Amino acid sequence: MQNTTIVETHGLTKRYGSGVLAVDSVNMSVRRGEVYGFLGPNGAGKTTTLRMLVGLIRPTSGTATVVDHAPGDPSGLKRIGSLIESPGFYPYLSGRENLRVVGDLAGVDQRRVNEVLDIVELSSRAHRKFGTYSTGMKQRLGVAAALLKDPELLILDEPTNGLDPQGMAEMRKLIKDIGQGDRTVLLSSHLLGEVEQICDRVGVISNGKLVRQSTVQDLIGEEGVLVRAAPLDRAQQVLVTMFGSDAISRQDGALHLKVKPEKSTEINRQLVSAGVGVSELRPFERSLEEVFFQLTGEKQGS
Amino acid sequence: MIATIKAEWRKNRFRPAFLVSSGLIAGITVLVYSSNWYLATHPGAAERAISLTQLYPDQFVNNVIGAGFPLGAAMAIVLGAILAGSEYSWGTLKTLFTQGPGRLTTWTGRMVAFTVWMGILTIILFAVGAAYSVLIVSVNNQAIAWPSVVDIAKGFGAIWLILTVNGALGMAIAVLVRQSAAAIGIGVVYLLSIEIIAVRFISSISNGDYKWIGNLFVGQNASALLGHLSNAKGVTISTEQALVVLFAWLVALLIVAAGLQRVRDVA
Repeated sequence: MQNTTIVETHGLTKRYGSGVLAVDSVNMSVRRGEVYGFLGPNGAGKTTTLRMLVGLIRPTSGTATVVDHAPGDPSGLKRIGSLIESPGFYPYLSGRENLRVVGDLAGVDQRRVNEVLDIVELSSRAHRKFGTYSTGMKQRLGVAAALLKDPELLILDEPTNGLDPQGMAEMRKLIKDIGQGDRTVLLSSHLLGEVEQICDRVGVISNGKLVRQSTVQDLIGEEGVLVRAAPLDRAQQVLVTMFGSDAISRQDGALHLKVKPEKSTEINRQLVSAGVGVSELRPFERSLEEVFFQLTGEKQGS
Repeated sequence: MIATIKAEWRKNRFRPAFLVSSGLIAGITVLVYSSNWYLATHPGAAERAISLTQLYPDQFVNNVIGAGFPLGAAMAIVLGAILAGSEYSWGTLKTLFTQGPGRLTTWTGRMVAFTVWMGILTIILFAVGAAYSVLIVSVNNQAIAWPSVVDIAKGFGAIWLILTVNGALGMAIAVLVRQSAAAIGIGVVYLLSIEIIAVRFISSISNGDYKWIGNLFVGQNASALLGHLSNAKGVTISTEQALVVLFAWLVALLIVAAGLQRVRDVA
């Protein structure tokens, strides 16, 4: 029976010789067939983790299993397509010739080169030298190379880096298309909108630690209730009595309550009984961005 | 293995560095022959008299091996350094190492492709030398006589070995420093200066008691090998030793580079 987990790490750690702890005991699991978003600010340890998963760097400690093999095992690599950081190709060769070189190494039929060029819509410019490509074309060629093996697992590290808004939208669509069916996509990004739109589950990494791993819905779906009332201090006192101070925060002249929206009726009744005028009472859903900043300790707009 | 050789050949066959060096080695051979031809026909211009017969086809192996060391060796170092070092600057190492073949297989494929290229450069060197010598003998209305096949094969093998060992040196340095530019600098300076100074110094210690150490350097053995082929006088290292030492250097350099590639992280 096929394992339902395609990537699994236990205590994966990378400490560089300089003493820098880039990845700290990451326990991560990616399920077959899902699009998994690996979120984190720049320098959080995303690329280092992905490099360990494809065997480019060795972990200091911990273990990882990728498509049923140890990272870097040739049998495993034949089933993985990856684009790690920037695409690495020979500038004096055309896009097509670069793919042929990769195809030779990967042992794929050279006819596949034209197929993947079609998928990434680069066929008409495949004869041009890689060195003359725009950033968007380079990224597309990187994705094409990753698709050559028709891999079970596709690892894409910041594929929209350096792209303009249109290029980003096109890349998002491409990744969505690629992620259809049985293929698993592990997508690292620091762009929250990108992950929110594409991914089924996410892992959030901060300072080398995986601080959260869940479905996107679970992550942003920690519902709450927003209350606007006057006097606000009195309203806060009533609500603290009801739910405790940890459940309440004050933002932009309103009270945010970490409680189920079903409590709204009770909240309204108690506030009115206490002589508080309620002007707004509604459920609210946090954006992935808010969750991300909360989990990573980053400041919004900073 | 076949897949990696195929991939290496595909990416290097139109590589500007190889195409330029092919033209360069042909150009150098033409230049050497042209200047010697001029000096042979203008006896007063040369410090050392050159006979026209020295430039005829039966002598062409002796003439072309002169281009093999140190000039050809320096070119081989540059090519080796470019071949291995540019993989770091272009970020292509990660692309190669994530396709399936293991690191050692990939490295071996690269080395095989490189030795083939060194063979092609040697063929160009010999072909241009032979063609130019035919031109000279034809202009002088003399009969064409060739060296024996064995002599041609020996010369070809010696030049190929010297180019390959020096290329491997360039590759090993590039892998060590993870770039081409520094590797080219270090390699060429080593070949043209550091090794010569080191050998002189070692030979002068204790009235030459440690000269045998100096005789283990690449340059000394390359010179000796070519010296025997051209019947030069005063060559102290035997052909057998030169071959053993050069092959030992080749194997050692390849193992060191392969080991570094295998164990190091690809950042």
